[in-house]
Amino acid sequence: MKTLISLSVNGELHELAVAPQATLLEVLREQLDLTGAKEGCGTGECGTCTVLADGQPILSCLTLAIDCEGTEITTIEGLAQGDNLTPVQQAFLEKGAVQCGFCTPGMVLAVTALLRESPNPSDQEIKKALEGNLCRCTGYNKIVEAVNEAAERSSSTNA
Amino acid sequence: MSELQYVGKSVLRKDGPQKVTGKATYTVDVRLPGMLVGRILRSPHPHARILNIDTSAAERVPGVKAVITGRDSLGIHHAFVESARRYPPDQLALAIDKVRFIGEEVAAVAAVDSYAAEEALDLIRVEYEPLPAVFDPIEAMQPDAPEIHPTNPKVREPFRNIGGKTESAWGDVELGFSQSDYVAEDRFESHLRTHGYLEPQATVASYEPGGTLNVWTSSQGTFIKRAKLARTLDLPLSAIRVHKAYVGGAFGGKIDLFSHEYCAALLSMKASRAVKIVASREEIFTAYRHGQPLIIELKTGVKSDGTIMAQQIKVINNSGAYRGSGIVVVFLSWGFAMLPYRLLNLKYEGYAVYTNNPIRAPQRGHGAPQMRFAIESQLDMIAEELKLDPIEIRLKNARQPHEQLPNGDNVHNCGLPDCIRDAADHTQFLQKYGHGRKGASRNGRFRRGIGMGVSAYFGGALIYPSSSSVIVKMNDDGTVTMLTGALDIGQGAETILSQIVAEELKVPIDEVHVIAADTETTPVDIGAWISGGAYVSGNAAREAASQVRRKLLDVAGDELEANVADLVVEDKSIFVSGSPDSRLTYEQLVAACIRKNRGDPVIGEGHWRTMRDEPNPPSLATAKGRWSENYAFDAQVAEVEVDTETGLVRLLRAVTAHDCGFPINPLLVEGQIDGQVSMALGHALMEEVLMKDGRTINPSWLDYHMPTIHNMAVSEYIDVVTESYESGRPYRTKEVGEGYVSGILAAIANAIYDAIGVRLYTTPFTPEKILKGLAEHRSLSHDHR
Amino acid sequence: MRLPRFQPLQPKSIEEAAEFLGKYGGVAEIMAGGTDLFPRIKYGVASPEVVITLRKLSRESQIAIQDGFLSIDSVTTLSQVIRSELVREHAPLLADAALAVGSHQIRNMGTLGGNLCLESRCTYYNQSHAFQFVEPCFKRGGEICYHVPKGKRCWAVFAGDTVPALMCLGAEVEIKTATDSRRVSIDQLYTGNPLRPLAISPTEIVSKILLPKPSARTGWAFAKFSLRGGLEFAGLSVAVLLEMMDDGLTCTGGRMVVGSVSSQPLRAKKAEKALPGKQLSNDLFYEIAEMISEDVKPFSHHGYSASYLKKCLKIQVKDALTLASQRVPQSP
Repeated sequence: MKTLISLSVNGELHELAVAPQATLLEVLREQLDLTGAKEGCGTGECGTCTVLADGQPILSCLTLAIDCEGTEITTIEGLAQGDNLTPVQQAFLEKGAVQCGFCTPGMVLAVTALLRESPNPSDQEIKKALEGNLCRCTGYNKIVEAVNEAAERSSSTNA
Repeated sequence: MSELQYVGKSVLRKDGPQKVTGKATYTVDVRLPGMLVGRILRSPHPHARILNIDTSAAERVPGVKAVITGRDSLGIHHAFVESARRYPPDQLALAIDKVRFIGEEVAAVAAVDSYAAEEALDLIRVEYEPLPAVFDPIEAMQPDAPEIHPTNPKVREPFRNIGGKTESAWGDVELGFSQSDYVAEDRFESHLRTHGYLEPQATVASYEPGGTLNVWTSSQGTFIKRAKLARTLDLPLSAIRVHKAYVGGAFGGKIDLFSHEYCAALLSMKASRAVKIVASREEIFTAYRHGQPLIIELKTGVKSDGTIMAQQIKVINNSGAYRGSGIVVVFLSWGFAMLPYRLLNLKYEGYAVYTNNPIRAPQRGHGAPQMRFAIESQLDMIAEELKLDPIEIRLKNARQPHEQLPNGDNVHNCGLPDCIRDAADHTQFLQKYGHGRKGASRNGRFRRGIGMGVSAYFGGALIYPSSSSVIVKMNDDGTVTMLTGALDIGQGAETILSQIVAEELKVPIDEVHVIAADTETTPVDIGAWISGGAYVSGNAAREAASQVRRKLLDVAGDELEANVADLVVEDKSIFVSGSPDSRLTYEQLVAACIRKNRGDPVIGEGHWRTMRDEPNPPSLATAKGRWSENYAFDAQVAEVEVDTETGLVRLLRAVTAHDCGFPINPLLVEGQIDGQVSMALGHALMEEVLMKDGRTINPSWLDYHMPTIHNMAVSEYIDVVTESYESGRPYRTKEVGEGYVSGILAAIANAIYDAIGVRLYTTPFTPEKILKGLAEHRSLSHDHR
Repeated sequence: MRLPRFQPLQPKSIEEAAEFLGKYGGVAEIMAGGTDLFPRIKYGVASPEVVITLRKLSRESQIAIQDGFLSIDSVTTLSQVIRSELVREHAPLLADAALAVGSHQIRNMGTLGGNLCLESRCTYYNQSHAFQFVEPCFKRGGEICYHVPKGKRCWAVFAGDTVPALMCLGAEVEIKTATDSRRVSIDQLYTGNPLRPLAISPTEIVSKILLPKPSARTGWAFAKFSLRGGLEFAGLSVAVLLEMMDDGLTCTGGRMVVGSVSSQPLRAKKAEKALPGKQLSNDLFYEIAEMISEDVKPFSHHGYSASYLKKCLKIQVKDALTLASQRVPQSP
């Protein structure tokens, strides 16, 4: 029997009938057509299913949808405003931190959350924040450059 | 090159915005109405006869719409490489009589959801008669080994289970050895590693009765998938449409036909509904293709000044249960052995051996990492013996520009000597070399070392589909649409082709619209697995755009009553030199063309094939025949730090000096290099697929140690530019997607030796091997006192 | 990979969770962060009919000083533990250990209670068995071991990173049932039996972790050794806590615990006896490291051999003791 829940995703409230054991990842991808979050492994090791729950990165493949009532979920689709990319998204593009793009949604969300909490992160902080997001294409070099670029940009606009 | 506006610039990826906003559609994201979920039943036995399969109970599960086994297929074999006589195809999409590896596909179901599909899978009853199995290639070659397939009839030796052999020789190795002042003989082993692409293998197939089979699949090229599906399903090519989908990485693991692709198609045909099959990460780690492990026996004779006189090489490849690309890797390894250094006398033998393991596949470098690790390690050992340094011995032997290769190819503008010199200078190699072992820190806990690895790669070679075509068409408003079969798997194919078209036509990149990788609407492309994107597909795009440019110039010449030679193309318009104010825009020119040239809206086509004068690809078995006209060379340096107490090794810095021709997009080139440095350090230091009796022990990213952000290394680049781009003329630029794993792997091996005096002959260089080597080293130096 | 069907229950408090356990005991599993239970359910090595999910409770978890103890609700996420000023002040060793767990996302979801109650691990166990290792091993209720063929016992390893730290800190654990409550030293929570690593019954739930007031002058360190330095479980881990005299040089005692090398974390009791009265020095650290390495018999696990872990243990202990000594507050 499905359960009726209210899920707030990217600022919109959705009334959904979900299977009790449905993960947040399934519901996002299949019921809300938000396919930015991916299933790279399903067991918590790759980070491609990362979404933000009340601003904190979590793994949606290991989270029940029913446990997300009352939480504000942010997916990659909820970041940009139309054509206006966020500084993190823009930095990823400009620094060449995107190749195949599969890790990108999870990575961008993890970086976005990091910079909100720590606008000028140290190398160690960056590593701890992103150690759960695997990338096979970039070797992480340009991703770190993008993080530093986004941090610098945000701090200069705030100055 | 200085007046180029787009080529040579770090233009941002065309598909970037889609990817950073989560809008890019990968195969896993494709959803069709009524789509069913497919699942595959796999063999638990490494080698067994299939006596019977009973699917009746499975078919009765509510929600199950189709169940198939090998008996439902046409039993048409396929293979990575197929030829009628020497390499008849040996794989079936679904096993019929026998299974030959744990995980081999035996049946498939399609159901309304995964619960029904899995319930059905559990109810399929397969009766197996287990057969003796063999997992080690040396054992598999013995005359009393269980026979997995008959040895290839062209192989003369009395070995069992040989899928194919590459044999090549020139000069006289025995004479060469007798003339050598020093001969080294060593054995190297490269282990089993895997691709680790983030997007799982996935396929959506949707068959319209009497019509088309629509397919979306995570691949490295849509045309080869269409060809193999057509053969195995016995459908005409025109009845299958493989659509474009973004690909979340491949690295060699998604090239040829996979069972789940066939099954999705056949299930769809049976159920008359779309079917999606997505492999789980565990299935990928256990039953899908891993990279090719190689055993390399290497004997090299040199003169006391370091000149290589002769080389004798034997390669054994553990290709798994079917021939796959095993016969290709033993051919390519020959190539990677003979490319970088002059080699007057060679004897090469490479065996692809069947074992009851999952089939192996190319993995980024396809033989180059393994072969260069062996050759470069030994070369350093030879240098030390002869009291030469690693740089001078490499310069002594490095190919020079325009050298002819023994197979008839030419290296053209080879930049290897500059690569070696530049990499050495940039890293102050000779000042640092030797200090780890002998310097002040030699008794310290953390010791640093530096090493070099040289490698070479080819850009584009002849294997189906062998050529690329591109169509460029003008739109009424002066913007451009490019139709290309090229598939962007992350390497930036769509972007660099757009840059080339933009350059030829002087149209902003944003106004070049790309339609790609659709077998129905775009022309054929060689695919993203033969390192030909920049050279082959790029030249095809250039030709197509050039044709459009010529047509526009002709129309402009007419309209402006001028000679084409006096016309200037600039900013989507054409004018007579000196009169920019009387320019005609493309919009105007297209309209004029339609009016005056019987409705021709200005369309151009371009085609390119590597080695246009060569009708045939080289022989995989004899290595005879031309192979490529486009060779790329590189010298890479690695600086490592070894913790002599834990045995952990860190790659601190990687420098890649590469003869890239010229970079079409420097930012993309850097990204390719970074990714390959990461793969090399993974291969060298942490990644290993552990298998026991045909089963994978560590089928997860927790236990298969692919590099995380903690493991990243500084990556620096030196472009050795040896070619140039000139509008309207064919260019030779080199590949950057595969050739840079090998040099770093070899450099790490040499750097470890430089740091601690321990020479490792097998990858990966685990902490245990390091500590063992250090202990032996200590006891040796004890003895020497 | 979908989760198989089960009935989730969402208790509004730990007490209600205990009530649910009372009712569903044998067929229910507790899910705190989901990072341990859900992969096991997906692999088919756990198949509860009922899943009692504590995820929502994490939002209201408390860390507070209570009767002289630092009391941490079991549903506190590891990230909350790391950020807590109380934890950083009173038990920085715990914060360090929590920071070593998994990844940022896992730390945002995984709880301290969950880390304590981690199921023991083995590569042959933590995977699906549809066509590989089909016949059940000891841990799956069968009669063979894949890790040690012809072996007569299970060799699964307990790998919870926070436990060695908590053992050093002398933590106690409050355990509740629907009707009862008991409090035990954390040392008593682990059986050493890889088949059932926890001394907790199916109707019990860990509700609080309580840390006694720390000594005035301590040095501490946590070290986790793994091949990549992040994401994965430890090859081995070491937690040390040194209690010092006012001179900041002489040790009065301490605790040292080695984790992830056996079916339970191992207190190095023999080596601990060598600490009182000694002055901290490199020689002392070497001596202790030698003693611990002699004493501890690591399992080979997850690709690490027992002999390598033994060697590595010596270095990790020495490094941890060195770091701990550097953290001892100097006399004013």
